[in-house]
Amino acid sequence: MSDTEKGISRRSVLKGAAVGGIGLAAGGSLLAGCAKSKVTGDINFTIRGNLSDAGSKIAIAVNDAYTAKSGNKVISQAVNSDDFQNNFVQIMQGTPDDAFGWMAGWRTNARADAGLLADLSDQVAALGSSLSAAAVQGATNPTDGKQYIIPTTYYPWGLHYRKSTMTELGLNPESIATWDDLIKLCEATQKKGLVGYALGDKGGWEAMGTFDILNMRLNGYQFHIDLLNGKEQWTDPKVVEVFNYMGQLIPFMNKNVLDISWDGMRDLLLQKKCGAMMMGSWFANDFLAKSQEDYDDLWIVPFPEINPEHGVDSIDAPLDGIAVAANGKNVEGGKELAEFWGSKEGIDAAVAAGDTNIYISSEFDSSSYDAFNNQKLAVLGAAKNIGFFLDRDTRGDFAGPVVGPAIQSFLKNPKDLTKILDNTQAQWDALPAL
Amino acid sequence: MKTAAANKKIRSRRTLSKNDRFTLAAFIGIPTLMQIIFLWLPALITIVLSFTYWNGINVGDIKWAGIANYKNIFFGTPVFYEALKNNAIWLLWFTFIATPLGILLAYQIDRKIKGHKLYETVFYIPVVLSLAIIGIIWNFMFQPGGFIQGIMGRDIGNAISIWGNYDINTYVIMGVASWRHIGYIMLLYLAGLKSVDSSLREASAIDGATEWQTFRKIVLPAMRPVNIIIVVITIIESLRAFDLVYIIYGTSTAWPLLNILVFQNFAGQGISMKGAAYAVILLVLCVGPILLYLRAVFKEDLK
Repeated sequence: MSDTEKGISRRSVLKGAAVGGIGLAAGGSLLAGCAKSKVTGDINFTIRGNLSDAGSKIAIAVNDAYTAKSGNKVISQAVNSDDFQNNFVQIMQGTPDDAFGWMAGWRTNARADAGLLADLSDQVAALGSSLSAAAVQGATNPTDGKQYIIPTTYYPWGLHYRKSTMTELGLNPESIATWDDLIKLCEATQKKGLVGYALGDKGGWEAMGTFDILNMRLNGYQFHIDLLNGKEQWTDPKVVEVFNYMGQLIPFMNKNVLDISWDGMRDLLLQKKCGAMMMGSWFANDFLAKSQEDYDDLWIVPFPEINPEHGVDSIDAPLDGIAVAANGKNVEGGKELAEFWGSKEGIDAAVAAGDTNIYISSEFDSSSYDAFNNQKLAVLGAAKNIGFFLDRDTRGDFAGPVVGPAIQSFLKNPKDLTKILDNTQAQWDALPAL
Repeated sequence: MKTAAANKKIRSRRTLSKNDRFTLAAFIGIPTLMQIIFLWLPALITIVLSFTYWNGINVGDIKWAGIANYKNIFFGTPVFYEALKNNAIWLLWFTFIATPLGILLAYQIDRKIKGHKLYETVFYIPVVLSLAIIGIIWNFMFQPGGFIQGIMGRDIGNAISIWGNYDINTYVIMGVASWRHIGYIMLLYLAGLKSVDSSLREASAIDGATEWQTFRKIVLPAMRPVNIIIVVITIIESLRAFDLVYIIYGTSTAWPLLNILVFQNFAGQGISMKGAAYAVILLVLCVGPILLYLRAVFKEDLK
């Protein structure tokens, strides 16, 4: 197994983007002067999700705004997100849509290396200083130093809870600073008959969020990324330690971890059945869809410190954006549309359509953020190192087929840990060179 | 001698007009061609690819791996043996529980026991559903927040663990799969039983044979063609099992089957030719027993 350089060097700090939104609204002149469209022809756009989703409506609004500006028609079609991801390679080799919402990290870089995605370096350059250097670095393919995705939004993984529940219990998660505090919080919640640490791992990826943060807290960001890229061993006592900590959380988990998926976790919180849970903030849209009251009740805090050496300096914050298919019919059109998504006009259109996501661009006026979004920014701002989540930080043929089942096996039977880690390392060693 | 044979040849050739020959060629040739293009060619390519490293994108990236993928599966992937075990459980369950139950039902319904029309309908209904739909139905019943959990007054937080409980989930899945399989076998067997001459059974009854003796010595042998179909269907259904489990567990190999492993390694972001190797293993498992069985059967028939 050769050490792959993918995803190691490029990502360090997206923090700049997080705080950059403040006070930069005045700098929005770069794109305001953009001339009329240079390209012609219809552009096809893939929306990952259902047409009825809030996200789809937002995407259509942005595409409409582009049409109004450029005169080029955008044909948007919605596809099942999982299907699109699972068949991505096949779709890209066939007759793909020109542009689509996509995820930075391994999923972009490996496909760019295979020649499936169009080079967007010129568009990223045109967006200029509205994208922080860190965001651009996060979107850069380490193999050739080019960008194949226009970074637009991102979200933090953190401990989510309902303020009302915690108040009722007389607890304050914002005050938890250490691992012992977290355990005490879980104990107290459990004592009141709620789930202490909600987790669902039926999908095989949800618990990766807990693994990521424990590894980053205990062993630091660099060890985490090195581990995921084969430079450290899974049999290392440091990794054993990570699982031992995860094991300490098991008594506080719901008894049906392998029966529920991420949406089950969401429902646990929505129905006030649990205390805290480790999750990415994207599900907040569903709280808003339920009611404004539920949304206002939602809060996020960083996972507490475990090892003082690393403090709370790292976080998983997957970066999303727009990519363009190399085999599309209208590649130039796709590129222009992707750039539009990253521009002030594009972001304004998205926000006007009700998007609550955090935008990377400093063109975005963050003064309109609600309390929860500001808290997300604060959580992001607390971290120095940003991971993209395990399944974007390591090889695709390792994350899903190997790490996912390994964590499930551990949750099923924690006593098998040594065997599980030996096997995980053996499977990494058996992977072919990329 | 020679001329006679030649004459015969000419005669037989003449019996087919040009039109006939064209029709025959079309009826045999087109399916054969399609079979070769869409089945045999991909199968051969899969076999070849199973000996390579490849991420499924650029043909130029294919690298020879020798038997590395197989070595990895047999010696480095414990989930393979779990999948093999689950497929074996599936096969044994279908062979010794579901299929005999289907046959028993068919036999009883054929004897027109009281309420046989009702039973026939009840057991037939699941057969019209695909296993994917059945997966959706029972997943909705059993999952946390599902119907049955709701009836028992369990919410998501304290729902009884079923799909994630490894003491029972195998039996639940087998039960759900049998729900359809029993009806399917019943239907096939019922159709066969209708074609068995009832005078045979009357004769055996007059001779004083018990029900069991009649079934074993008279009905079962008379049902030979149907029996072959049922054995083959039971084996194939067990080995190709996929959709039901995929609906419940997705590509996470929480309850692995060989087909799930094929899919997991072929689809998604993790394309590797380990998937091809799994597919070849499955092919060998499928083709082996069926060929052996069919050969044995045809040999006997020739005698």
